[in-house]
Amino acid sequence: METRFQEMKRYARFGQDDAKLVARTKAYCAPHFTRIAQEFYDRIREHEDAHAVFTGEEQILRLQRSLVRWLDRLLAGTYDESYFGETIQIGRVHVKVGLPQHYMFTAMTLIRSELDRIIVANGGDAATRDALSRLIDLELGVMIEGYREHLSARIHAKSEHANQELTRTLARTEHRYISAVELAGVLIIGLDTTGAIRLFNREAERVTGYERDEMTGQPFIATLMAEDVVPTDGTRVARALAGESLDTPVFESVLRTRAGNLRDVRWQLAYAPADEEDEVVLFVMGQDVTDARAVEELARQHEKLAAVGTLAAGLAHEIRNPLNGAQLHVSFLERALKKAGAATPEMNEAIVVVGEEIKRLALLVSEFLDFARPKPLKVDPVVVQALCHRAVVLLAEQAAAARVQITEDLPAQELVIHGDSSKLEQVLLNLLQNGVEALAGGGGGHVVLRARRQPRVAVIEVEDDGPGLPRADAPIFDAFFSTKANGTGLGLAIVHRIVTDHNGTITVESRPGRTRFRVTVPLGNQ
Amino acid sequence: MDQGPAPGLPRPRILLVDDDTRTSRLLAHMLREDGFDVEFASNGAAAISRLTRTPMPDILVTDLHMPDVDGIAVTQFARSKEPLLPVVIVTGHPNMAIGLGATLIPLPVVLTKPIEYAKLAEELRRVSVGIVL
Repeated sequence: METRFQEMKRYARFGQDDAKLVARTKAYCAPHFTRIAQEFYDRIREHEDAHAVFTGEEQILRLQRSLVRWLDRLLAGTYDESYFGETIQIGRVHVKVGLPQHYMFTAMTLIRSELDRIIVANGGDAATRDALSRLIDLELGVMIEGYREHLSARIHAKSEHANQELTRTLARTEHRYISAVELAGVLIIGLDTTGAIRLFNREAERVTGYERDEMTGQPFIATLMAEDVVPTDGTRVARALAGESLDTPVFESVLRTRAGNLRDVRWQLAYAPADEEDEVVLFVMGQDVTDARAVEELARQHEKLAAVGTLAAGLAHEIRNPLNGAQLHVSFLERALKKAGAATPEMNEAIVVVGEEIKRLALLVSEFLDFARPKPLKVDPVVVQALCHRAVVLLAEQAAAARVQITEDLPAQELVIHGDSSKLEQVLLNLLQNGVEALAGGGGGHVVLRARRQPRVAVIEVEDDGPGLPRADAPIFDAFFSTKANGTGLGLAIVHRIVTDHNGTITVESRPGRTRFRVTVPLGNQ
Repeated sequence: MDQGPAPGLPRPRILLVDDDTRTSRLLAHMLREDGFDVEFASNGAAAISRLTRTPMPDILVTDLHMPDVDGIAVTQFARSKEPLLPVVIVTGHPNMAIGLGATLIPLPVVLTKPIEYAKLAEELRRVSVGIVL
């Protein structure tokens, strides 16, 4: 295959004969080489821009010597591939030193005319002059080729490097920002001018339960804000979207999750104007404070209860002492009347009433203490069936007296929960007793005690066919709320407290003819 | 009333300690009627001073909260003299009594005020039978 140099020689019509003609001139040209090199660099010295390329006289002298070698080589008569390789190098060096291409032409013209003059002076013919001229053209062509190649390679490498550097910087910056947005423990949601979601970070996904793909393009206010707060907080977001600056860029609001739950979120709005319509203009950043709120609330409640508990314990002692005196005096009175044979039925009844009233006060004190200052749970595995059965046995006598039938509906397979058995027993006793008492007035009835296993919880239900609660929304679990004439109003409050202390739930459903309390407690293996 | 010990057996000796003098005197009166010998101390210091003398009581019935020397201190002193002495603590602070008395062996019986006289007499009879046997 023809090489580039061969192709160039063919184009310039420079052949073996031309090479021979040129080679013959060397003998009489060589004595002039040093002079030509000197004149060449004198020219350069005269020209500021060309001169500026060189670093000093030392270098110029070195270059003069290399120009002499070049002339010697030019007229040597062998123009093969390695010759071509060397000439290419010259072009490359010019790129390296920063010599503009046009200097090559003027330099070559100088050398061409010097050599031409010498050839003419030594009787060289037209063919020889022509061969040299073409050789110099060829030399120039190859140098320019080297120059061009090297320059474009350098430019390419440079821009490649710059590109890579730029890509790396961009990637680094992008990584930083994505990490900051994604790993932030805050919800970061970006909205475009229409209020549609364009950015939805991981925390936003976690808190809302929505995935970013399904949220992209959705209207933020309508999708994520709870309906109640749309008129107020929704307006606030809409105003921020319009670029209005808000007096209070931080506000608390309610977010509706995919599951329909409500979360308290503290939002902060940041407006960043942009040109494109689908670009993010408003960053809505939020922190889910629901749990923190709940913990705070619980801590406050505990604090309050602890204070009440301390007070209750002191008060209990102060109340129980006089009650003790009253109780013993009643017993004494009862005995004295009996001994004297003076007791009338009215007197006996009066004594019974006083005795009962004292007991009621004593019970109130005990229940209030249980409620306000509960003993810590003693948690052990508890078999639900055994727990239910014991409660039914304990209440059997009272139920029979009220003509109430208690039925147990328990699963065959053993159901185990982790809990404080005596407290859970108190829950069942209180609920069963409520059922029995609800029926006692109407001359009897049925109470069902039912237990079931569900995937994560044991469900225990106490159901009676009594008249039901007077109102559906009666605050029956609140302390001191009672529907009974002689109730303390603490029974269900204690039940509620014990159940929630077990991480369980209690609900009630009531209508005339059926009232059902439903308690759930996490299963033992949870 | 028939809660007392069986006739013919020696009457159990009870030391009753309570700063509520009026009620205690009444309680002592009823217990005596029911076959117990009752001595009474109206505070912890008086109880300890009584416990330094013989004969020792068969049963100690004490309040928990009393000025200066409380029921636990009285119990500890009594047990230092008579390690197996039965003790009944009558208190408005049953949880505290159970907590404080937890290291005492044998454990004291804890009754919550207001006490039912019949229940107390029953408890004392049960304990006293244990002593006599």
